[in-house]
Amino acid sequence: MFAFIMRRLGTLAVILFGSSFLLYNLAALSGDPLADLRTSREPNAAQQIIALTRKLQLDIPPPLRYFYWLRGLFGVFIGKFDLGQTRGGESVASAIGSAVPTTVRLVTTATLTAIILGISIGIVTALRQYSKFDYSMTFVSFLLFSLPIFWVAVLLKQFMAIGFNNWLGEPSIPIKTVVLIGIILGLIISSVVGGDRAKSWKIFGVSAIATMLVLQVLVKINWFLQPGLGPIFYLLGSVGIAFGVTQLSMGISNRVALKSSLTVAGIAFVLYFPMQKVFEMQKQGLLLAAAATLTILIAVGVALYFAKIDRAAVVRTTVLTAVLLGILMIVDQLMGTWERYMGSDAINYRPVPTVGQTNPLLEPGDYWVSTLDLLMHLVLPTIALTAISFAGYIRFSRGTMLEVLNQDYIRTARAKGLTERTVIMRHAFRNTMIPMTTIIVVDFASIIGGAIITERVFGWTGMGTLFNKAVGSFDLNLLMGVFFLTGTLALVANLVADLLYSALDPRIRVGSGK
Amino acid sequence: MKKWNRGAKVALAVAATAGLVIGALSPATAATRTTVVIVDSNVFTSLNSSTPDTNLVLNGNVAYLSGAGFNYYDEKPELVRNTTFGTYKIMSKTPTFKVKYTVNKGRLWSDGTPITGVDLLLSNVISSDAYSIAAGLGDPASEDKKPAFDSLGYGGSYSKLIKDVSIAPDRMSVVLTYSKYFPDWEIAGPGPSPVHALVAMAMGEKKLGTSAHNVALKSKFLNAYIAKDKDLLSKIGKVWSNDYNVTSVDAKTNPLLLVCNGAYIVDNIVKDQRVTMKLNSNYNSGLPTSGIEKVVFTTIPDPTAAAQALANKEVDFYEAIATADSVAALKKIGAAVTVEGVTLATYEHAEVRSGKEQGTKVDYTGPFDGMSQKAKDLRTAWLLAYPRQEIIDKIVKPVNAKAVVMNSHQYFPSEPNYSKMVAASGMAKFTAGTQADRTADALALVKKYYPSAAAGSASVKLTMLWGSPSNTRRSAEAALVKAEVAKAGFDVTTTPTSGWSSFLGDPKFDVQFYAWSKTALTQAGNFGSFKSTDSQTGYNNLEMDKIITRLETEVLTPTEIYNLYLAAEKILVEDAVTIPLFQWPGVIAYNSALKGVNPSPLSPSFLWNFWDWHF
Amino acid sequence: MIFSKKKNVEALEETSIINKEIEGLSQGQIVRRRFFRHKGAMISIIFLASIIVFVYSSLKMKIFSFTYPGWWKYTIEDLPPLELGACKDGLVGCPTLSLRPEFLGGNGISLGEHPFGQDDIGRDYFALVMRGAQRSLMVTFVIGFIGGTIGTVVGAISGFYRGIVDSVLMRFTDFIITIPTIIIGSVIGFHFGNLGVGFLAFYLGLFAWTGLSRLVRGEFLTLREREFVDAARVAGATNRRIIFKHILPNAVGIIIVSVTLLMSGAILLETALSYLGFGVVSPDVSLGSLISQYQESFTTRPWLFWYPGLFIISIALSINFIGDGLRDAFDPRQRRRITKKDRERAVRLKREAAQK
Repeated sequence: MFAFIMRRLGTLAVILFGSSFLLYNLAALSGDPLADLRTSREPNAAQQIIALTRKLQLDIPPPLRYFYWLRGLFGVFIGKFDLGQTRGGESVASAIGSAVPTTVRLVTTATLTAIILGISIGIVTALRQYSKFDYSMTFVSFLLFSLPIFWVAVLLKQFMAIGFNNWLGEPSIPIKTVVLIGIILGLIISSVVGGDRAKSWKIFGVSAIATMLVLQVLVKINWFLQPGLGPIFYLLGSVGIAFGVTQLSMGISNRVALKSSLTVAGIAFVLYFPMQKVFEMQKQGLLLAAAATLTILIAVGVALYFAKIDRAAVVRTTVLTAVLLGILMIVDQLMGTWERYMGSDAINYRPVPTVGQTNPLLEPGDYWVSTLDLLMHLVLPTIALTAISFAGYIRFSRGTMLEVLNQDYIRTARAKGLTERTVIMRHAFRNTMIPMTTIIVVDFASIIGGAIITERVFGWTGMGTLFNKAVGSFDLNLLMGVFFLTGTLALVANLVADLLYSALDPRIRVGSGK
Repeated sequence: MKKWNRGAKVALAVAATAGLVIGALSPATAATRTTVVIVDSNVFTSLNSSTPDTNLVLNGNVAYLSGAGFNYYDEKPELVRNTTFGTYKIMSKTPTFKVKYTVNKGRLWSDGTPITGVDLLLSNVISSDAYSIAAGLGDPASEDKKPAFDSLGYGGSYSKLIKDVSIAPDRMSVVLTYSKYFPDWEIAGPGPSPVHALVAMAMGEKKLGTSAHNVALKSKFLNAYIAKDKDLLSKIGKVWSNDYNVTSVDAKTNPLLLVCNGAYIVDNIVKDQRVTMKLNSNYNSGLPTSGIEKVVFTTIPDPTAAAQALANKEVDFYEAIATADSVAALKKIGAAVTVEGVTLATYEHAEVRSGKEQGTKVDYTGPFDGMSQKAKDLRTAWLLAYPRQEIIDKIVKPVNAKAVVMNSHQYFPSEPNYSKMVAASGMAKFTAGTQADRTADALALVKKYYPSAAAGSASVKLTMLWGSPSNTRRSAEAALVKAEVAKAGFDVTTTPTSGWSSFLGDPKFDVQFYAWSKTALTQAGNFGSFKSTDSQTGYNNLEMDKIITRLETEVLTPTEIYNLYLAAEKILVEDAVTIPLFQWPGVIAYNSALKGVNPSPLSPSFLWNFWDWHF
Repeated sequence: MIFSKKKNVEALEETSIINKEIEGLSQGQIVRRRFFRHKGAMISIIFLASIIVFVYSSLKMKIFSFTYPGWWKYTIEDLPPLELGACKDGLVGCPTLSLRPEFLGGNGISLGEHPFGQDDIGRDYFALVMRGAQRSLMVTFVIGFIGGTIGTVVGAISGFYRGIVDSVLMRFTDFIITIPTIIIGSVIGFHFGNLGVGFLAFYLGLFAWTGLSRLVRGEFLTLREREFVDAARVAGATNRRIIFKHILPNAVGIIIVSVTLLMSGAILLETALSYLGFGVVSPDVSLGSLISQYQESFTTRPWLFWYPGLFIISIALSINFIGDGLRDAFDPRQRRRITKKDRERAVRLKREAAQK
């Protein structure tokens, strides 16, 4: 195994050497960095050409120049790692260093959302194969998948930012729209839940009317300008989460798990009031990290107190409940910040931004306002990226799930009399995740490469932008820097995927030549 | 308690289902704005925009707001003297041409240090090749080693003509001595640089110094300048060339880097996102500002995104890429945004090859080669058939309804001499009658040499060079030209070329169209590229060369200058090697609450009169 | 609830119904049957076929010396005068297509002079969209063909032969993965000029096969260990025969599915490249170049944006549905949903059998 990994890493280095050499030469051939100066009418254009030639070492043929670049790279062994400078005079390492976090922030949320949403929808469509829900999800996901991202971005900005902000000026929903939203939501809910005709009509009716009522109430109490949960709804939400998580992971019938989750919900409710004070303190970052640790410790403690057998599963359930409760509390806090955020001069009652990473006019200092600002700037890019990428996960998880469901061991599990929940969550779901894992690993590696177009339309300067800029301005050092990172990650991810696959699926061995 | 109330409200409302009506929360009227957010498509890279790699629009705009010098261009455009800062005058024209620049007493840098004539000396260090060599700072024209100051300014008119720069005893003025008269002397003058800050940084200081210390540093620079102290100057060069390249500025940034004398000083820069500038409390080098306290440049590369951000009131000012759709879309935002068409100092023109570029090996053998009657006739036919009016009607007018065909190389249609020039230069040949008539004339000319020529006969095969494959305006232009010239018997290949400007001298291409942009007003005018030694389309006419030389070197009266321009234009019409098309339309869109905007065609375009801006 | 309980008895019954249905049918017949039953896929295949016929028959084309007239009156080279007729707000070149019948207060169903409107200089937008769709379809199919072929061959060889061949080929695949397509595009654009959309599709195809080859390799690795392959080997079959007659038919499902995904991805890849300026260049157009060129028209002349967009969506959507149908059809363990009708039929058959 060790020998196999070493061998793969060795070949990886050789591949990187080859492709970087090729890329360097191709990129050097891809255009003329002096092009702009040739049409220049400045009196000293000729001297500028000399200066640029000197700076970019254009007099050295590219195959040789490559080794100058490589020398800087090998500097890593003598502590003088140097990827060179961009044409703007910045060090490539620092340019990439600041682009990576931007890209990660932009793409990670979207990818995670796409994965979670995609896999859960995929699994539900597999369980309800050829149902209305399956067909409509297939259609919707393919439709979203077929849209060019810049188009999605333009539409989102027009309707969800500019339109929504204008609407907030006078937040009332026409009755026609309320009815429409109610009907659409009702249809979705009834098709997910399934059942026979009478039942699905009933569910449709109830959920549609409930939606319409809730919408009306929300508008009437000005919820869109002053949102919030308040302790009562927090308590209701917590209990709901406790039941939901327990049902999915162990079944409501497991009294121990249910008790443990409900206890955590109770503790959270009690802590809700002192936490309001904590949220107003300084150094929120540290405090939140401490709170998160504490939450998990409490959850583990509670679970261990209740559970005598099957401890690991109960702990898992309880911790998941606790984490969700923590997130809910933060959501409530952010909702409470909303009014302050909206009223600030920088925002001036237009909370959904179309572009950028933060509001340039917002005074720093208020942790929650800044956090909300950061999150608001993530809303549209995340929706856009999620919309176009989750189709793949739906299709793949649906296909894998269907295949797994038809396996003999599932039949055996059913025959043994296990509940359908156990069969699906414990047997089918886990086996579905094996091939999914490898796909996710490779996807996450490609994240770092950035999303050129998404970054561009939302005005974020991430790795995609750097790459595009490097290609456009013949900035070889920058290009090679970006390439070095993304190329290495892609290759390492493929290696990790191969290893993971063999680790998760005992039928596959790595490194077996024969 | 607040939380509890809200929760109760929700509960009550749910129970009643009718809901409580709470007075709609109307947005409070915000106080008068004092911040302008300006969109730029690029990211900020340096506080010094005078090196070859940092000479970008955004860097330049930041430098413009944070600096003030002896003159600037207004919207006419004319060069205006900034007498608040200082004065300059010609000392003698003959035998040696001398100009004296004096800084007014009491002008201050942002750190409170007085501005003196010493601050003008750095201009010589970063512009004069001779000084750089003499001080051992390196030969800027060398092909293998950078000079200590990696400056964009070397090798230009300044370096070629200015022989000496001396400082007056009171240290408030400098005298520039030219080797001969230079007609465009006004734009070659020096500008102020905070030399005390440079010296401080060269010595490794990280904090603003006291005023006594700063005065001492200034003297230190003066001594080094006079003594050509290679050591200190090289250190300063390093600071000047490298240390100003910062992409983010915050509380930890060395404040010496930010010392300036402009109305606004850099407050903070978030890397790749924005530059925030605030009022400079010590500003007295230029006209007073009118109430804008903060200027933010924010980076949005995508034009649609910028327009939508403007519609969403996230930004206040956007200079758009002018297309029919962008203008219409901006106008559609409504009264909250003012959309103004502007004409840029850039004009589109068509060129015809008439020979091979001097110094290249490959010969041009196409139909337009040489000065024979046949070549001239065919070139004339090509230019006659060029559908200039149609291009303007279909491509430019949707953006700028007042656009007209440009008929002079030297003058823009808005300039006073334009009509006089057009009437006399012979351009009437290319404007007489309708396009159908002109195309018919063109066909007749082609028929003289290709008797079988007819509409669509493709008798003369040509290749056209044009660039920017993603530019819709250009591809529409090419399509219109191709369709019209076909009627005169030409068959032109109009596939766009990527990296097109590298092929300007390539004899593979018979014709080309692109844009030239004026960055300064000079006596030499717009004819430099028709000099036989510089022409990339192989144009070679001794008469033309003589005119250009006179314009570039002689002391001339306005009438003489006009007559030389006229002679040059006449020759160009006669030889049929080029034709101007149209002045580029531009468009700016801004928050209607912002007043005082009055864009200029020359850089820094809309920003030039920032001091008049207010809400 | 999501977890509905199924009675095991019923499940067994279903199996027997299915088994009855596929009795005596070859693998190919089963697949075909299943595919024809997939409504979405069938509609899509008819839809896509009609789009292809519609698009390719519309414009005048020169095929060597033969000129096909085309049923549409304009080509993308024609420059008819800009029509002001149907427009409001001082716009020019609005679409003349009218789909609202007169009895609903419209102008009747008619195409008009320029059904999709005109671009800035008067070119007929219907002709441009048709040409764009031709180009985009070509890009899609060329990438699908080249990427599919290379991916299958590389994957098959490395999965079948394993060992050193596998290592070399898979590392070569890694090598290709690391090279950014855009760079290749700009090198070619700069040095060889514009070689046309066919070439663009060709070189994109040369770089689009990596994912497929990894997939096919995995499939071959599993399949070559199966009993029927051993049996064939014992019977003395050559490698060639084993690959083509035994393994490939079993892997064809996964290959076809991936290729359809590759194709629908291709049309979007071309759109993205056009947006960045590395795709199809004028005077030629593709759907991608049209939509990115006119993205600014979204609020002013929306038809310039919507019509090509509609075609992109239609093509991508139908290819995806076809792929989905094929996937379901090729999955050997896949079962169709048992409808009431099936169950009744099964009961009837059983009864008839009992009566005999």
